[in-house]
Amino acid sequence: MKISTKGRYGLEAIVDLAIHSSEGRVNLKSIAERCEMSEAYILQIFLILRRAGIVESIRGAQGGYVLARDPSQITVGDILTVLEGPLAPVPCIAEKVKRSKSNCDRFENCTARSFWEGIMNTLNDVANSITIEDLVKCYNSSISQNIELDYYI
Amino acid sequence: MRFSTKGRYGLRAMIDLAVYSNGEHVTLASIAERQGISTNYLEQVFSTLRKSGLVKSAKGAQGGYVLAESPSDIKVGRILRVLEGPLSVTDENDENSSGNESAIRKCIRVNVWEKMNSSLNELVDSVTLEDLAEDYRKRNGIDSTMYYI
Repeated sequence: MKISTKGRYGLEAIVDLAIHSSEGRVNLKSIAERCEMSEAYILQIFLILRRAGIVESIRGAQGGYVLARDPSQITVGDILTVLEGPLAPVPCIAEKVKRSKSNCDRFENCTARSFWEGIMNTLNDVANSITIEDLVKCYNSSISQNIELDYYI
Repeated sequence: MRFSTKGRYGLRAMIDLAVYSNGEHVTLASIAERQGISTNYLEQVFSTLRKSGLVKSAKGAQGGYVLAESPSDIKVGRILRVLEGPLSVTDENDENSSGNESAIRKCIRVNVWEKMNSSLNELVDSVTLEDLAEDYRKRNGIDSTMYYI
């Protein structure tokens, strides 16, 4: 049970976008360079995030991407749910979350299923409690610590 | 983000064994029938469970499997780790926690993945096999006292 590359890279690219948004719109090439990812892969991820209303694209020579909401209003859970689907540890729960009928005729009365749902709820609670702003703050404080270190050396 | 069939079926089989064994050996065929899992697949799963000391096997006409410990002493986390390996939402090999990890990646690792992992592990270690067996008996109308008569 792993978060895929898409989820991990997507989250990293969004935090990078949030960090550099203060300078205006951010182009994918600069994100790709800083995060050491392919631009095509980030584009693929950002198209999904744009449809989900998490980023907005601005066309033109000075075009690029901005966050559609304040970083304090976007949670890690928002990003992971869009890119990964429900954080469901077993398929029967993922089907339920997507509102399709479960293939399992034991579904309603299954002890294991309710245990797995507990895991999904716990993972969602953690992901929903962390905002992109929290991660930007973490980044800013780690960078300022490094600058202080350089200064004193 | 999925547990493998080994973890999923293995947990259900262990719950079944806890509910129906009551100290007696249970055949894989009967677990397979009740749980709708193939006997062949259960053989693989139980081979892993036996090597890890969670179940014991007996050969012969009255043969089958029995829990090696009381279900109240078996944490579900232990069963899942035996079947799935360490429980983590990220792959160690993907995580670049060496010296050249970027500042963003480190912030995400510490604040997101490690928190998810510790919540996940705390949860699975807070539930015992007996807790799940009790839930199973309730849902399926199995009276646990009947076994003690």
